Amino acid sequence: MEQTPEYVIEMLHITKEFPGIKANDDITLQLRKGEIHALLGENGAGKSTLMSVLFGLYQPEQGEIRKNGQPVKIESPNDATALHIGMVHQHFKLIEVFTVLDNIILGAEDTKMGFLQKKDARAKVEALSKQYGLYVDLDAKVEDITVGMQQRTEILKMLYRDNEILIFDEPTAVLTPQEIEELMQIMRNLAAEGKSILFISHKLNEIMEVSDRVTVLRKGKYVGTIDTAGTTKEELSRMMVGRPVQLVVDKDEARPGEAVLTVEGLCVPSRVHKHDAVKDVSFTVHAGEIVCVAGIDGNGQTEFVQALTGLEKTSGGKITLCGHDITHQSIRARSKTGMSHIPEDRHKHGLVLDFTLEQNLVLQRYYEPRFQNHGFIRFDAVRSYAEGLIKQYDVRSGQGPVTVARSMSGGNQQKAIVAREIDRNLPLIVAVQPTRGLDVGAIEYIHRQLVAQRDAGKAVLLVSLELDEVMNLSDRILVMYEGEIVGELDPKKTTVEELGLYMAGAKRQGKERETA
Amino acid sequence: MKKKTPLMQRDGTRSVLASLLSIIIGMAAGAVVVLLVGLFNKSMSLKTAWEGIRIIFLGIISTGRNAAGALTFGFNPVNFGNMLFRATPLILTGLSVAVAYKTGLFNIGAPGQYLAGTAATLFIALEIPSSVVPAWLIWILAFLGGMAAGALWGAIPGMMKALLNINEVLACIMTNWISANLVTWAFDVSNLKNTVENTKTAYIYKTSFNGVQTPKMFLDKIFPGSQVNGGILIAIALAILMYIIFTKTTFGYELKACGANRHAAKYAGIKDKRSIVLSMAIAGAMSGAAGALYYLAGNTEFYWSTYQSLPATGFNGIPVALLAVCNPIAVIFTGMFMSMLDIAGLQLTNLTAYNEYITDVIISVIVYLSAFSLVIKLWLGGRTKKTGDGPDANAETGPAPAVGAAAGKEAQK
Repeated sequence: MEQTPEYVIEMLHITKEFPGIKANDDITLQLRKGEIHALLGENGAGKSTLMSVLFGLYQPEQGEIRKNGQPVKIESPNDATALHIGMVHQHFKLIEVFTVLDNIILGAEDTKMGFLQKKDARAKVEALSKQYGLYVDLDAKVEDITVGMQQRTEILKMLYRDNEILIFDEPTAVLTPQEIEELMQIMRNLAAEGKSILFISHKLNEIMEVSDRVTVLRKGKYVGTIDTAGTTKEELSRMMVGRPVQLVVDKDEARPGEAVLTVEGLCVPSRVHKHDAVKDVSFTVHAGEIVCVAGIDGNGQTEFVQALTGLEKTSGGKITLCGHDITHQSIRARSKTGMSHIPEDRHKHGLVLDFTLEQNLVLQRYYEPRFQNHGFIRFDAVRSYAEGLIKQYDVRSGQGPVTVARSMSGGNQQKAIVAREIDRNLPLIVAVQPTRGLDVGAIEYIHRQLVAQRDAGKAVLLVSLELDEVMNLSDRILVMYEGEIVGELDPKKTTVEELGLYMAGAKRQGKERETA
Repeated sequence: MKKKTPLMQRDGTRSVLASLLSIIIGMAAGAVVVLLVGLFNKSMSLKTAWEGIRIIFLGIISTGRNAAGALTFGFNPVNFGNMLFRATPLILTGLSVAVAYKTGLFNIGAPGQYLAGTAATLFIALEIPSSVVPAWLIWILAFLGGMAAGALWGAIPGMMKALLNINEVLACIMTNWISANLVTWAFDVSNLKNTVENTKTAYIYKTSFNGVQTPKMFLDKIFPGSQVNGGILIAIALAILMYIIFTKTTFGYELKACGANRHAAKYAGIKDKRSIVLSMAIAGAMSGAAGALYYLAGNTEFYWSTYQSLPATGFNGIPVALLAVCNPIAVIFTGMFMSMLDIAGLQLTNLTAYNEYITDVIISVIVYLSAFSLVIKLWLGGRTKKTGDGPDANAETGPAPAVGAAAGKEAQK
């Protein structure tokens, strides 16, 4: 017998079945003390299920969990807490109107004769916050602080409970690049202090940067565990997807044709303040090119897209699509004139989650004669159309066309939207954050589709926050900063650093920038 | 390729089972009350209690007592006819609630819409002299007028919701009372108060005073001696029409899309504000039709004086719709079931020492359970329920009808 076992937590041969699907099939995960261990897999690979098993939310049919070499039973989250396992969920579990300190001690309060004793708690939290570099204003209300700070509050919650094993469920999905950088540093600090970290992600850059080892899952099965130092992004994505993945899209030189979309002096009022959120924006998108609007989140991109697509009113300027002035047209009229729209928020705008997949696939064209006869839906036409799209775009779901959209994975929901919008075969595609929250396989797929549309002579207007995507995909980059276009860049002649300077507002071109 | 889901795992089957379970538990609760009353009331025996229980379950086919004093059962055309008659407005207010719910709205405004429809119908049916205009034409005008008034009264909260984002439940509660007082006032200053029959000035003339009444459509031949008329067929036709609109047409698709996700509907170019107003107008039209058909029967009279409560028919639409899981076709049956309980209550009063209020106990238990029908449904789902929260499904569940029902009951108080 060893004195100190090598692993703090071992999940051995875990199998968890749901009706019709083996979510986890003989999965083994071993976590060393003081390491950052990444758990990598596509959407639906079984990462969340495995963590739910570790956290006591699900009971596995087979397999064993050991802590420090001793078999343990985790039947509820309380058992997990008793074993010093803590989790930061993707969607934070904080009470918005409570202060940070109250949130941290909630459920583990010290009391004396029924009265809260916050003094000791405050001292402990302050010490922890100093020790790990987790700076938060303890007296601020959660609703008033940034997402990054809320996450730190969650981490402090785990530390306050003396957790040794920290699970981070896709912690970077909601953060800005700067906040991600800070989180990485915090994770390194935690590991250096002897905490063991399980880091769930499908973002390869982050995994390469921060983790010591990676366990890869694919479709519920265990693929392998490797040292991060000895691997590459390409290898990891191949393990995750099961085939080689191209992280950079292959594309030829763009051959721009006629102007499809012309925006002149567009202004859009803001919802939060009195000034315009979008100020005097002008540009043109031609057939056969991908133009990307880049920028840091919150610089007017959302308002710009909403005005362009008709969801919001403009306060000035003119939008011309295929030669028609659509500035004051309805959404339906714009759509018929030739605009398809992959929306930023797939749950809010892109899908009716309680509708079936087939109902969602005809959301933009149910009124066409092909799908209706004197106001009566032609169900057979809808069904065969949906089946065609599902097959062509490889949209995976439990029950095919009749699957409720809510029950599909995020990647497949997005694929369904992309399929619906691309298949309308319209001259302009407005794609807003089309790959947000998706894994590399799905990203590769969607990028290829957009390039194929460009090559087929469509105009593509891409709005993205991901620098890689911007650099990779676009033929021209327009940088938006505080509602204005501050620069137009050629991705082949610029660098990520220069792009970053424009995005941060540190650099700008004159008003009379060249129009391509 | 296409695999049929086993009957027991189908969503529809579970909905039906959940509703049946609510009904059975409700009736069992009624039986327990009958038993308890029988045990603690000296003038009753266990035999009386047993009779009471039998009437609760079989009241609809009770035919009275035979020479030996025992209860007799068999086809009772009067009971059946009266059940259909009373079911007519219930089916329509049930449709009103169900249709609104399908489009994501909770229509607690059925009583107000019912009253608005009633008033419009009575004014048209009584004010146009049948000596000038043929009675059948007056009937049609009165019916359509009632529906239109209900639609208008439903559209008001719909507009508030669409344009000002005011919660439709609040707006409906207010429009209910506005309707009640407006209708009272309108009849008070009208010349429609019944002055022919001396004791009845608190009532409005029956429409038959002007020769206007719903045709029997041969139903009186099938159910002789009952109050039944063709209204029930119109109610059933409207239920089928609603079913077709909401499951087969692009119009229904638009309304449902808007109800399920207003933002996505707008994104797809559906006029979201128009859809919300239309949904409420359609719901209101159903309640208006309920009032119209009930008072066009010719044998019913409207009590206008000091109108200080809202008509129960409007509120009873809520349990009718919930029991039917908001399926327009199922509403036909749950509406009839509710009126069947009414009939059983009457039989209880007529044939035993019990009074009809026991059926109110049953109805209230069923109302409570129908609000929980979603929970019961999930419970019936048992093991298959987990399919939805398989791996990576971090979906939230939709708004439970129980929430709406709870709000409904609050308002009813």
